[in-house]
Amino acid sequence: MIPSDHFTRFYNEVFKFLESQGEEALEAYWLAISKNQERHILELIETQGLAGMYEYWSHIKIEENCDMDLDFNEDRLELRMNVCPSLSKVMDNDAAPMERYCDHCAGWIGPIMDKTGYHMVYDVIDRKKPQCVTRIFKDPAKARAAEKDAKLLMGWPGHKVG
Amino acid sequence: MASQESPMRYEEDGNVHLDFHGAANTTIDFIVERFGVEAMDEIFRKVGRDVYVSIRNDLIAGDTRQLVRHWRHFFDRESGDYDIEVGDDQIVLTVRRCPAWHHVKGLVGHVSPHFCDQTSRTNEAMAEGSPYAIDTEITGEGSCRQVIRRRA
Repeated sequence: MIPSDHFTRFYNEVFKFLESQGEEALEAYWLAISKNQERHILELIETQGLAGMYEYWSHIKIEENCDMDLDFNEDRLELRMNVCPSLSKVMDNDAAPMERYCDHCAGWIGPIMDKTGYHMVYDVIDRKKPQCVTRIFKDPAKARAAEKDAKLLMGWPGHKVG
Repeated sequence: MASQESPMRYEEDGNVHLDFHGAANTTIDFIVERFGVEAMDEIFRKVGRDVYVSIRNDLIAGDTRQLVRHWRHFFDRESGDYDIEVGDDQIVLTVRRCPAWHHVKGLVGHVSPHFCDQTSRTNEAMAEGSPYAIDTEITGEGSCRQVIRRRA
C-alpha cells in the first residue's frame, strides 16, 4: 500500500510520466481525476451552489491538514491556501518535484466549474511556493475583473489563459 | 534483522484523507488503459526507488528497521488489520484487511485488478540492489502477505 499520506508523491511521479507523453496525456488525466472528484463535490454544487463548495472545502481543509482560509459570501467563495500540504509534501521529497505540479488543481476543479456554470479564477502566485488563491464566482463579469489581480493565472482543459 | 525504532524519512501526522486511494485507483485504471501495465509498473518502481530512497538505502546497508517502522506507522494511521512477525530469517507482514483496498471498494465498488501492484512493484524496487528480496503474495480481496528475506 502506498499510504494515503504519500499519494501526492506518487501523483508527482504520475505527472512526470504523463508530461513525457505530451500535453494531451496530461490534460486527459486531469479530466479523468475531475470525473473521479465529481462523486465528492458535484451534488453539493448542484444542490447548494457556492454554499455546497464551502461545505466541501471546509471538510477538505480538516481532512487534508490544510492551512487555508475560506471566505464565503453570496457573490463568491475564496480559498486562500497559506500552506498547501500537497505541494509541501512534493517539495519535501527525495524525488524531484514536477515543475508544473500546481497545474493539476485547476486541471480537476476547472472542468467541474465549467460543467456547473461557475467561473474560477485560480492564482497560483508562484509554482515553487505552497500557497495560492482561488476565487469562484457565479457572475462571469466579476470573475473577469478578478483575473486582473492575479500574479500567475492558471488555466485548465478547455479554458486556456495567457 | 532488527526491529528496533529507526528514523523515518516521511513521518506524517494529523488527519488522514483515505479518498486519495480512490484517486490512486482512477490513476491506475487510466495509465493501464492508455499506456499499458508496464508503464504503470515503471511509475511504481520509480516511487520505490526515488521517493523511498531512504528506505532503499537502509536495505542496501542491510537495515530493515525503517521499512518495518514505515509499515507499522502507516497501517496504524489507516487502521489496517495486520501484524508483523520479525524472525531470524525473515520478516512477515500479514495484512488481513487492507485499508486502501477496502476504502476504494466502498467508495466506487470497483477496485482495479492492478491496484495491489502498487505494493508489489514498490516493494521490489525498494529492495533492488539490496541483500533482501521483498515478495508480495495477494492472499485474497484486500489481504496480502509481504515477506522480507535475505536473497539466496
